[in-house]
Amino acid sequence: MSQFLQVLLSGLSTGSIYALAAIGFTLVWQAAQTVNFAQGEFVMLPAFFVLIGIHWLHMPLWLALIFGLIVAVIVLGLLFKKLIVEPMLPNGGLPLIIATMALSILLKEGTKQFYGAEAQPYPSLFPQTTLHMDGAVVSVQDLLNLVVSLTIVVALTLFLNRTRTGRCMQATAQNPAVAEILGVNTKRMVLYTFLINAALAALASFLISPVYLAKFSNGETLGLVAFIAAIVGGFNQIRGALAGGLLIGVLDNLTATYVTTEYRAALPLVLLIVIILWRPQGLLGTSEGRKV
Amino acid sequence: MLELKDLHGGYGKITILNGVNFVIPKASITTVIGPNGAGKSTVFKAIFGLLNIHSGQVLLDGQDVTRASPAQMIGHGVTYVPQGRNVIPQLSVWHNLELGGITSPDQARVRARMEEVMDQFPMLRQRRNQKAIELSGGQQKQLEIARALLLDPRLILIDEPSIGLSPNLVQEVFATLIRLRDQGVTVLMVEQNAKAALAMSDYGLVLELGQTRMHDRAETLLADPRVGHLFLGGHIEEG
Ligand SMILES: Nc1ncnc2c1ncn2[C@@H]1O[C@H](COP(=O)(O)OP(=O)(O)OP(=O)(O)O)[C@@H](O)[C@H]1O
Ligand SMILES: [Mg+2]
Repeated sequence: MSQFLQVLLSGLSTGSIYALAAIGFTLVWQAAQTVNFAQGEFVMLPAFFVLIGIHWLHMPLWLALIFGLIVAVIVLGLLFKKLIVEPMLPNGGLPLIIATMALSILLKEGTKQFYGAEAQPYPSLFPQTTLHMDGAVVSVQDLLNLVVSLTIVVALTLFLNRTRTGRCMQATAQNPAVAEILGVNTKRMVLYTFLINAALAALASFLISPVYLAKFSNGETLGLVAFIAAIVGGFNQIRGALAGGLLIGVLDNLTATYVTTEYRAALPLVLLIVIILWRPQGLLGTSEGRKV
Repeated sequence: MLELKDLHGGYGKITILNGVNFVIPKASITTVIGPNGAGKSTVFKAIFGLLNIHSGQVLLDGQDVTRASPAQMIGHGVTYVPQGRNVIPQLSVWHNLELGGITSPDQARVRARMEEVMDQFPMLRQRRNQKAIELSGGQQKQLEIARALLLDPRLILIDEPSIGLSPNLVQEVFATLIRLRDQGVTVLMVEQNAKAALAMSDYGLVLELGQTRMHDRAETLLADPRVGHLFLGGHIEEG
């Protein structure tokens, strides 16, 4: 039982980090019909910005994290939108998808050239200790990862629902033509969405890299998991992406512990197939879809 | 109050409007009629800054507002209720209404107006926390109209408000427009339901092939056999 709790917690912990990436993915999809196939690399890369801050600019960790977040928001938010999405979107969805695929390769190979192929040790944000509670051994890092990720999700949800800017972002995503005739600055709202996605990816990166170490190829799994979590969740809502992320994290850890680690990578794909067959609108999705 | 001078424009390079001319006076209701595809909705988009204007002018109380953006038009006191459904589906009725005042720097005033507008449309107050998508078509239209009134516009452009509404609701919407006119608001409306619309309007405007064909007092148009012919799907003969 105590082992089960441990496995569950650590699944929820990684799952909540996947959820951050998945939520960003759905936000960008809603606001700009962009399926970002580089999302995994968006999570891989910010950890390297932090390492640059530490190793090259000799920053303390806290400063390097702020530096990494800012660089990520500029490069993966602002520049991604201005240099890739804006020029490609008028040509239709497919060219943009191909562009994000190309970007994913570029970021991955670029990181490999620049920082090497080996996994880089990455500073942990939280103490690597354990708590003993009622016979269960709980990793403090797992616990805090979960708490921080969920706090970020709650903060984002509050922002989107409780502020006027957040509601303007929702209006722009749900019906851009109407938002425009009401005088909403839709271009700015779309930009905010890209900046938020980049920030979410960076935060996911900072939390996951102490677990996975910083490696150029981390984005392969992360991107797939985010994509699948988004689909599992119904592709168009935050709580869906959150549920999808948590579900994948937990299932992944449970199978790795109780069944086999061998097919671990295949699990999200199996989940994807099951969901597509059983509930094509997603776990929490409704079939009404997007009104254009 | 509103004047269009030889307006030409369209979508991208496609030209739809080939010279639209009219002047409508303040505190009046004008109904635009014309066959499907005549460019009625396109004229509204042109006024509201959503169209590529090739040449011509839009004047509002003498001020040139040609090519002003939607946000700027709202600033000039113009609001627009497009054809079809125009709510934000997953936001509540209350938050949809609030968006009607999103450009205003005075949000306290917007709150106050939201209460006033909900007094006019009590249904909205009852359903303020429901998602807009859960409203019926007629209720959504009422929400859109209420939203367009939030900033006390001087000119309201309303495109086919009666579509999907029960006859009772159509009468209610028309009554709302008449009340607005009596308060000094100028109303420019497109209506399929041409006879009923002209009957409650001050002026009528016939648009065909992107051009103004006739523009007269509503009762004159109602009595005109050429207009009657048009209602049956025909064209207006030259001369
Ligand atoms: N977004 C668009 N892009 C290109 N052409 C368009 C667009 N919207 C409308 N059109 C064309 O412009 C012409 C006029 O359309 P418009 O919607 O103004 O007609 P309408 O008079 O409002 O007709 P209806 O009574 O059907 O509403 C039509 O030929 C239509 O096909
Ligand atoms: Mg029309």
